[in-house]
Amino acid sequence: MKITICIGSSCHLKGSRMIVEDLQKLVKDNNLTDKIELAGQFCMGNCQKGVCVTVDGEAFSLTPADTRTFFEKDILPRL
Amino acid sequence: MNDLWIETGWISLNHVGETLCGDKVEIHGGGDENLTLVLADGLGSGVKANILSTLTSKILCTMISGGIPLEECVATIANTLPVCSVRQVAYSTFTILQIRNNETAHIIQFDNPATIVLRKGEVFDYPRTTRVIAGKTIWESTFPIEVDDLFIAMSDGAEWAGVGMTMNFGWTRDSIADYAMANYLPENSAKSTASLIIDECDRLYGGRPGDDTTIAVARVRNRHTVNLVVGPPENKEDDTRMMNLFFGKKGTKIVCGGTTSNVVSRYLHQPIVAALDYPDPEVPPISTIKGVDLTTEGVITLAKVLTYAEDFLDQAKLAPMWLTRKDGASLIAKELFENATDVNFFVGRAINPAHQNPDLPINFAIKQQLITSLAECLEKMGKHIRLSYF
Repeated sequence: MKITICIGSSCHLKGSRMIVEDLQKLVKDNNLTDKIELAGQFCMGNCQKGVCVTVDGEAFSLTPADTRTFFEKDILPRL
Repeated sequence: MNDLWIETGWISLNHVGETLCGDKVEIHGGGDENLTLVLADGLGSGVKANILSTLTSKILCTMISGGIPLEECVATIANTLPVCSVRQVAYSTFTILQIRNNETAHIIQFDNPATIVLRKGEVFDYPRTTRVIAGKTIWESTFPIEVDDLFIAMSDGAEWAGVGMTMNFGWTRDSIADYAMANYLPENSAKSTASLIIDECDRLYGGRPGDDTTIAVARVRNRHTVNLVVGPPENKEDDTRMMNLFFGKKGTKIVCGGTTSNVVSRYLHQPIVAALDYPDPEVPPISTIKGVDLTTEGVITLAKVLTYAEDFLDQAKLAPMWLTRKDGASLIAKELFENATDVNFFVGRAINPAHQNPDLPINFAIKQQLITSLAECLEKMGKHIRLSYF
């Protein structure tokens, strides 16, 4: 599975770095490094809904506060 | 004229407790023009020394660059400098470095430590003659320059760094030459070479310089062009025209901005590979596109580059941290401040709808202002700048 996080200007200011770091930690703590690939991408063209995150192409809108919920509700069940 | 470029940079440390420096550097020309650099060290410290060295450097620089014979210049100084009421002398030492037609170096020195010349990173023992003008013994040297020659002029505060504190007899010119050789890298700029040496002087003085200390460096280098594109064009149909012009230029290519990267990626038919490393948490990660030397985020990164540029021009700041850092802003700073002699900016005027959000802490309308300010800073660093808008 590939999770892509937008690192463009707008999403950066909305906290994409914190989401990247949280996800990196969650993936590692759950021993999923061989199942989940994390990647960055410049502006996904959907800045109003930032921080933009896609999971295998499906778009999600996150804030740093709900990274864990997103991981538990939208990522873990898909594996 | 050849393809050489003369780059200069200098830094002074003030005598502890003084707000004015008694050393003064005056520079005329440089780049692809004739260079005249004068380093003067006024007798004593504080305001008196500052007046003496300011007069000396300004008069010498103006007269010498105007082609007036040395005898007349020295006579003018002797007749102009105010006489110190305590010591009954008017006195300022000086070093004059001239580089003509990017071919010949002419060094004239009076009582300053002898200028160190590094050629291919090794100390170059240049020929010297002496002559007496108005009772002053003056050293003169003339020799052809080569690419990568490094001229390091100094006031005696550098030689004496650490005397009676960390060293018995101070640092000495020979040790400074050894230090400059040991830290020599062909790509180090004049300014960072001066910073490196002055940092060491400051360390030896324990942060409390016992004399005004100045290092002025001139470096002979090849010209190098850096091209930076930021922002997509106002009209989408101009994308290809902008890209043709950008990639048609020789030199390093830097792409700033997410949307701009997408335009470049489409043009080159190469994917954007983004990293997730944050060497500086304030600066978004860089990406790579095959065919582009550096790809970064846009406005946040450039705002950081501008603060680095302003700090770099501020004489009071010592060795900058962007020299060794790997985040996007530091990499751009190094490329623009250190490597470039000529910079071409390609600025797109398209408005990004996401940037109109009033909740965001950066006002994105400042993008063009950012580029203009950065261009001004680079001009102050002596670089040739060209701005094109699309």
